[in-house]
Amino acid sequence: MFDQVGDASLPAHGLGRAGRARNSFWSKQRRDWAAAYVLIAPAAALLGYWFIYPIVETFVLSFQQVNLFHFSERNYVALQNFNQLWHDPAFHHSLYITLIFVIFVVPAQTLFAIFLAAVLHSVGVGKTLFRTAFFVPYMTSTVAVTTVFMKLFVSGGPLSDLAASVLRLPNTTWFAEPSYALPFLVIVYVYMYIGLYVVVFVSGIEDIPSDLFEAARVDGAGAVQQFRFVTVPSLRPFVIFVVVAGLIQAVQIFDQAYVIASSGTILGSPAGATATLVIFIYEQAFRLNDLGYGSAAAVVLLAIVFLGTLVTRRLLPERT
Amino acid sequence: MTSSRQRPGLKALKYLFLTVVGVAAIGPLLYALYTSLESPADYPRLVSPTHLTLWNYRYVLDNAPILRWYGNTLFVTAGVVIGAVVVNTMAGYVLARIRFPGRTISFVVVLAILMVPLQAILIPLYLLVAQLGWLNSYQSLIVPFMVNPFLIFLMRQSFSTLPVELEDAAAIDGAGRFRTFFTIAVPLTMSGIATQALLAGTWTWNSFMIPVTFSTDPNYYMLTVGLNSLQSQFYTLTTVQMAGVVFLAVPVVLMFVVFQRLIVPSFATAGIRG
Repeated sequence: MFDQVGDASLPAHGLGRAGRARNSFWSKQRRDWAAAYVLIAPAAALLGYWFIYPIVETFVLSFQQVNLFHFSERNYVALQNFNQLWHDPAFHHSLYITLIFVIFVVPAQTLFAIFLAAVLHSVGVGKTLFRTAFFVPYMTSTVAVTTVFMKLFVSGGPLSDLAASVLRLPNTTWFAEPSYALPFLVIVYVYMYIGLYVVVFVSGIEDIPSDLFEAARVDGAGAVQQFRFVTVPSLRPFVIFVVVAGLIQAVQIFDQAYVIASSGTILGSPAGATATLVIFIYEQAFRLNDLGYGSAAAVVLLAIVFLGTLVTRRLLPERT
Repeated sequence: MTSSRQRPGLKALKYLFLTVVGVAAIGPLLYALYTSLESPADYPRLVSPTHLTLWNYRYVLDNAPILRWYGNTLFVTAGVVIGAVVVNTMAGYVLARIRFPGRTISFVVVLAILMVPLQAILIPLYLLVAQLGWLNSYQSLIVPFMVNPFLIFLMRQSFSTLPVELEDAAAIDGAGRFRTFFTIAVPLTMSGIATQALLAGTWTWNSFMIPVTFSTDPNYYMLTVGLNSLQSQFYTLTTVQMAGVVFLAVPVVLMFVVFQRLIVPSFATAGIRG
């Protein structure tokens, strides 16, 4: 490495007394260090103030009782918030809603994305065009997408009509019906995220050596068998990533649930059907003004995300 | 290539499938666009293109401070993009190129913060903003988001792919680190920097949870928050709401379509590294 070339090569440039003085204290390496600290200082300061401190503060708050409107008065209450969570039916309900949401979202988006990626990879012309189309929803504002889907799934709306005639479901306003609001949330969410995971899988498929497909073809494998016996097994690390990252992402669902709940005025509506974990945190902190209790629930969210990340690290081969 | 050997029937089937999914992907946006051009009396029937009108756009401009929200959104987005490009590019370069005491721990910290969702630290963020007196302000939506662990990571990757010899040569010619950074490394990483600017811009433009929490005064709404508030204001006027959707979504979607070659690969490569 260049850094280690160090002082030995420098005298050619740093002739004379000034040069030698610089070498002794302001050596090449030290000047490099100084440059590093100057260039990284803004990022370090901002990360420290706006990310690291709040992470620590979330834990601190979770042991305190703090009101949103008197947040300078803080009382330590030890584990009271966690104890309360343990016994709070609303919190259990939010975990249950989040679990159901994740159970439907993750397999749906993973399977559909892997299949779509395989088909996309196998065609010649038009790949970029289709990929762009698939990715558009992920680049679109969650508020915009949710607003449009609310019109599509209103009673008598185009997709409510379609679901009624094809699947014989009641023609109803999905996001206002307790038993249809969560499926509605799943549909909106999966619609937005599939394109992202298609891109991940396509890059995975491009990594598969083409002689594997060639060999399978020579052995008489058709398109379906190639998909089953070459594509899917080779994509194992990508599948693990998409499942765990998709799970971590889905657990954080907030925007869509906020928008369908009468623009956020009655969070979790209808009747708590969309009261996800983050909606619970938000409601405790910003509707019921209980910052400590909300923070305790946020610690649970952090724990879930942390566990998920550990699992990915364990299962994935080391890559750089 | 796989495609040349396929039976024509299978190939046609694949294209049919991709087309159906592609139309489904952009369908909701096209629906919003079409509906926004219908007169409220015609909705929800489909009418011939000759009956289309800009009435909804005029109505929403007259009855909601859309232009103010546009201005807010543009200003906040520009602020975040400029700040992010400066802050994350410098940090990414240091982590990619300079060996200094604390480098490993710095990188580990960046990766650790990368996995922390904003949802989990929203409460302390709100307290920080409130204590600074920054509720209902532009700076609360700009300053905290000028740094982004994902973008630091992205810039580190960009700088790592540059051949180090160019910088070595500059250094041997007597250029210090700053000169090397600004005159050699940065000009060679312009596509990475552009990608970063596009991503930061898109995320800021689309962001919702932070502005809806920090801004309660309609004068400081971002477009996303404004559009959400229109839902109740124009509850019965679907066509007007769709005009709002078009205002919000179309700039980002157009930008994405134009620059997708810069944007999409960053998700593909960053994805698996998690």
